[in-house]
Amino acid sequence: MELFLQRLVDGLSEGSIYALIALGLVIIFRGTGHLNFAQGEMALFCAYCVYQFGEWGIPMIPALLMGMVIGFFIGALTEVALVRPVSKRSPFAVFIVTIGVFQFLNWLDSAIWGGQQLPSSAIGSKQRTYPSLFPNDPDDFVTVFGAAIKISSLCIFCMVLVITALLFVVFNYTKLGLAMRAVASNADSAKLVGIKVSQVLMVSWGIAAAIGALGGVAFAGIITTVNTGLMFTVFLYGSAAATLGGFDSPGGAVIGGLTIGVVQNMVAGYADEWVGTSMKVAVSFLVILVVLLVRPSGLFGTAKVERV
Amino acid sequence: MTLLQVRGLKAGYGPLKVLEGIDLEVGEGEIVVMLGANGAGKTTTLRALSGVIPRTGTVEFAGADISKASPESIVRSGVAQVPQGRGTFPELSVDDNMHAGAYPRRDSSAAIKTDIGKWYDVFPRLADRRHQRAGSLSGGEQQMLAIARALMSRPTLLLCDEPSLGLAPLITQELFKVLERLNKEEGLAVLLVEQNANLAMHIASRVYLLETGRIVASGSAAELSADDSIRKAYLGF
Amino acid sequence: MSRKLHVTIRSGGPASWVIRLLTAAFVVLIVLWVPTRASDSLIDTATTALVWMAAAMSLNLLVGYAGQLSLGHSAFLGIGVYTTAIGVTRWGWSPLWTMPVGFAVAFVVGVLVSLPALRIKGVYLALVTLSLALVFPQFIKWPKIEWLTKGASGIDQVSYKFSKDNPTFELFGWNPWGNLRGQNVKPFYYWMAVLVVVFVYLVCRGVVKSRMGRSLVAIRDNSTAAAVMGVNLAVTKGVVFGLSAAMCALPGSLLAMKTGTVTPDTAMLTVSGSIVMLVIMVVGGAGSLWGPILGAAAYELIAEKTGEWNEADQIPGFLQPVLGWSEMPPSTGIFAVVLIALMFFAPYGIVGLWRKQIARVVTVVPRPAGTANLPAEGSAPAGS
Ligand SMILES: Nc1ncnc2c1ncn2[C@@H]1O[C@H](COP(=O)(O)OP(=O)(O)OP(=O)(O)O)[C@@H](O)[C@H]1O
Ligand SMILES: [Mg+2]
Repeated sequence: MELFLQRLVDGLSEGSIYALIALGLVIIFRGTGHLNFAQGEMALFCAYCVYQFGEWGIPMIPALLMGMVIGFFIGALTEVALVRPVSKRSPFAVFIVTIGVFQFLNWLDSAIWGGQQLPSSAIGSKQRTYPSLFPNDPDDFVTVFGAAIKISSLCIFCMVLVITALLFVVFNYTKLGLAMRAVASNADSAKLVGIKVSQVLMVSWGIAAAIGALGGVAFAGIITTVNTGLMFTVFLYGSAAATLGGFDSPGGAVIGGLTIGVVQNMVAGYADEWVGTSMKVAVSFLVILVVLLVRPSGLFGTAKVERV
Repeated sequence: MTLLQVRGLKAGYGPLKVLEGIDLEVGEGEIVVMLGANGAGKTTTLRALSGVIPRTGTVEFAGADISKASPESIVRSGVAQVPQGRGTFPELSVDDNMHAGAYPRRDSSAAIKTDIGKWYDVFPRLADRRHQRAGSLSGGEQQMLAIARALMSRPTLLLCDEPSLGLAPLITQELFKVLERLNKEEGLAVLLVEQNANLAMHIASRVYLLETGRIVASGSAAELSADDSIRKAYLGF
Repeated sequence: MSRKLHVTIRSGGPASWVIRLLTAAFVVLIVLWVPTRASDSLIDTATTALVWMAAAMSLNLLVGYAGQLSLGHSAFLGIGVYTTAIGVTRWGWSPLWTMPVGFAVAFVVGVLVSLPALRIKGVYLALVTLSLALVFPQFIKWPKIEWLTKGASGIDQVSYKFSKDNPTFELFGWNPWGNLRGQNVKPFYYWMAVLVVVFVYLVCRGVVKSRMGRSLVAIRDNSTAAAVMGVNLAVTKGVVFGLSAAMCALPGSLLAMKTGTVTPDTAMLTVSGSIVMLVIMVVGGAGSLWGPILGAAAYELIAEKTGEWNEADQIPGFLQPVLGWSEMPPSTGIFAVVLIALMFFAPYGIVGLWRKQIARVVTVVPRPAGTANLPAEGSAPAGS
C-alpha cells in the first residue's frame, strides 16, 4: 500500500511534466493543425536560460518567469517567421521546419552551454544543483498512510492542476479563449467574424512554448541537472500523452500525461521482473495502441482532426 | 445615398483570376441581389469585399476606403458576411457562436447579452438549443445561426451568400421574411447572393447578373424580369 | 507571351528520349566514376548515401505516395540490420542470403503495422509508428531475448570475409570493383548498395506506375472516395506497408555487413534514423521517384562538408564570425538552417524546385492521341 501510494505520486509527478508538454502540443495542434516537433527543445532552451539566470544570481521565481517569457517569444517567433510562410505552401514542409527548429535549438544549447551536464563544478558553476521549483532535498518528505512522498512530486502535480484550471478558465471564459476555440473550429469563419486569426495563432504558439518552458524547468529541477538530451524523451512521452488524450483536447492531454506517468511507474515497479526497464516504454505504447484501436482520435479527441 | 461602392474589383486564387473588374453599388437600407451561374464568382466577390482574399480595385464603404483594409477592420466598420455553406463553429455551442459574432465589439457584455437575446427572439429555434454544439444543429438551424452570428457584430451591411442552400422551401421563405423585416425595421442593407432567383427578386430592390467574373446586366427587379432574353437565360421563369 | 527562351517538348517524342538517354548516361557515369576514380572516403560517403537513398525511397512509397506518415522506418531498417547480424553470426549464413530473409521478416512486420493503420490516421498514426521506432532498440535490449540479440553490447563480426585472391576485373582500364584484392572492400559494398538502390527504385517505379499506384494516390488524397471507387483499402494498405518495410530492411542488411558491428543504440536505428529518412525524402521531394535519390545525395554532401568543420580554423573564412564563436562543431546548426531555408525556397523539395524552374523554359505536352498537328505555339507556362 505504501509502495503503491509512493509510485502513484511519483507517476503523477512524472506524468505532470508530460502533461505540460502535451498541453503545448495540443494548443498548437488545435490552432494550426501542426505537430510541433520542437516543443521539447523550446522548453529545453528555456531551461538552460533559467540555469543561466541562476548563475547570475537571479532568484528562482523571477528566473522562471523570465524563462517562460523567453519561451513565449520563441514560440511566437517560430510561428510568425517560420511556420506561417511555409504552411501556405505545403503542410508537410511545416513538420520538417519544426524538425529544423528542433535541431537548431539543440545545437544552440550545446554551442552556448557545452555538451556536459549543468550545473557542473568543472566549468565553475556557482549553483550546486539545477534550481528546483519546490523543496527537493533528500529529506523533504511527507508521510501519508505510511508512505514517504516527496514534497516536490506532490507540488509539481498540484502545479499542473492549477495550470490546467487556469487554462480552462482562459479557454472558456475569456475573449482570447473564445477566439482560440473559434480559430480551432473554423479558421475561415473566424476571419469573417473579425478575429485576427494570425494574432491568435501567434499567441497560441507563444502560450504553448511558455507552458513547455515551465515543464522543462520543473523537469530539470527534479533531475537536478540540465543537459542537451534532457527533453527529447520527455517530448516523445508528451506527444504520446497528447495522442492518448486526443490531439485537440487540452483536458485529454493532461489526463493522458498523468496516465502515462502512472503506467510507467507502476510497470517499472510491479512488473520489473518480467518487463525490465528497457521494455517499460513498450507497455505505455501498447496501452496507447489499444486505446487508439478503440477510439482512433484518442480518449477525448474529436474525429475531425487527422491532419499532420 | 450609396453605402457600398465598388469599382473595378479584381480578385482570384493564386494564379487563377476569377473577378475581372466588378462595379457595383449598394445603397443605404437597400436589398441588392446578385445572381449568376455556379462558378461565376459570386462567393469570390463577397470574400473579396470582406477582405479575406487578396484583391485590387476600389471599395468604398460608408465613405471610407476599405479596399486595403484587413478582414477584422472591415467587420468592425460594419460589414458582416454569412458565408456559403453555413460556416458556423461546429465545436462551439450556439451561445459561443453568438459571442464569437460579437468578437469585434468593444461594448459591455451586458449589451452583448441583450443583443443575443434579441436575435434569439427572432430565431426562437436557436434559443432552445443555445447550449448545444452548433455542429449538431440541423442545416436550417445552422443557417439561422450563421445569420444571427453575423448580425451580432451590428453590421450596417450584410453580405449573405446563398442562405437558402439546402433548406426546405418553407424555411427559405421564413428566412427571407426575416431578412426583409430586418431591412425594413432596422434599415439593414443586404447584398444577397442567391440561386433561387424567383424568390430573391421579390425582396430585391435591384439586381446584378454576374457571368464569369463580370457584371453582365443590372437594374431593378422589374426591369430585368421584363427583359425576355435575360429572364430565359438567368432567371429561369 | 514573353519573348523568353521557351521550348515545347512532346512526351514520348524524340527530344524527350534524347533527354532521358542523356540523364541515364550521366547517372551511369557518376555511378561508375565513384568506385574507380574517387577517394576511399568518397566511396564510403557514396555508400552511406546509397543506403539512405534506398531507405528514403521505401519510406517515400508509403508517405509520399500513399500518404501514410511513418516515423517508424528506423525499426524496419533495424530488422534488416539484425536479421543479417544474427543470421551471419549465429547460423553462419552468407550475408547475401540474409537479405531476402530480412526482406520477408520486415514485410510481415509491415503488414502487421498496416492493421492499426486501417483505423488510425494522421498524427495518431504518426505516433503509433513513432512508438515502433522507440520500442525497437528497447526490444533488442530486452533481457528476455538477449540470448538472440546480445542486448546492448551488440553483435560484431558480421562482415564478409574476403580472401586475398578474390577476383579482380577491368573494364577499359577501369576497375569497377576497385581495389578488392588489396583488402580494400569499400567498392564491393558500394556495388551492393547500388544494386539495392536499383532494385528498390524498380519496385517503387513498378508500383507507382501500376494500377496500384493510382489506388495509392487515391488513398492519399481521399481514402473514403478511394474506398467508394472500389480500392480495397485493407489489401492495398497492407501490401504498401509490407513492401515499404521490406525494402527498408535491405539497406539495413547492407549497413550491418558494411560496418560489421551492430548495436541497438546506433543513431540510425533510433528515432533519429526515421527523422533523417523523412528529412531526406522531403528535401528531395516527397511523392516523386527521384526525390529521395537527390535528397540523400544532398543530405550526405551537406553532412560531409559541414562535418569537416570540427575545429574553428576549418570553417571557411567568410563564415568564421558567424560560426567560429563556439567550441561545438557547427554542423548540426548549419544543417538545421539549411533544412529550414530549403522548406522556404523549395517546399516540395529539390524535385519540386526543379520542375518549377524547368517549367519556365520547357513545356512538356502529353503524347497526342492520334492527331498529327502540333500544339499551338505559345502554350503559356504556368506561373509566368
Ligand atoms: N479556394 C479556391 N481556390 C481556387 N479556386 C477557387 C477557390 N474558390 C473558388 N475558386 C474558383 O473560383 C471560381 C469562382 O468560384 P465562386 O465560389 O466565386 O463561384 P460562385 O459563383 O460562388 O459559385 P456557386 O454558385 O457554385 O457558389 C470557380 O471557378 C472556382 O473553381
Ligand atoms: Mg458560391
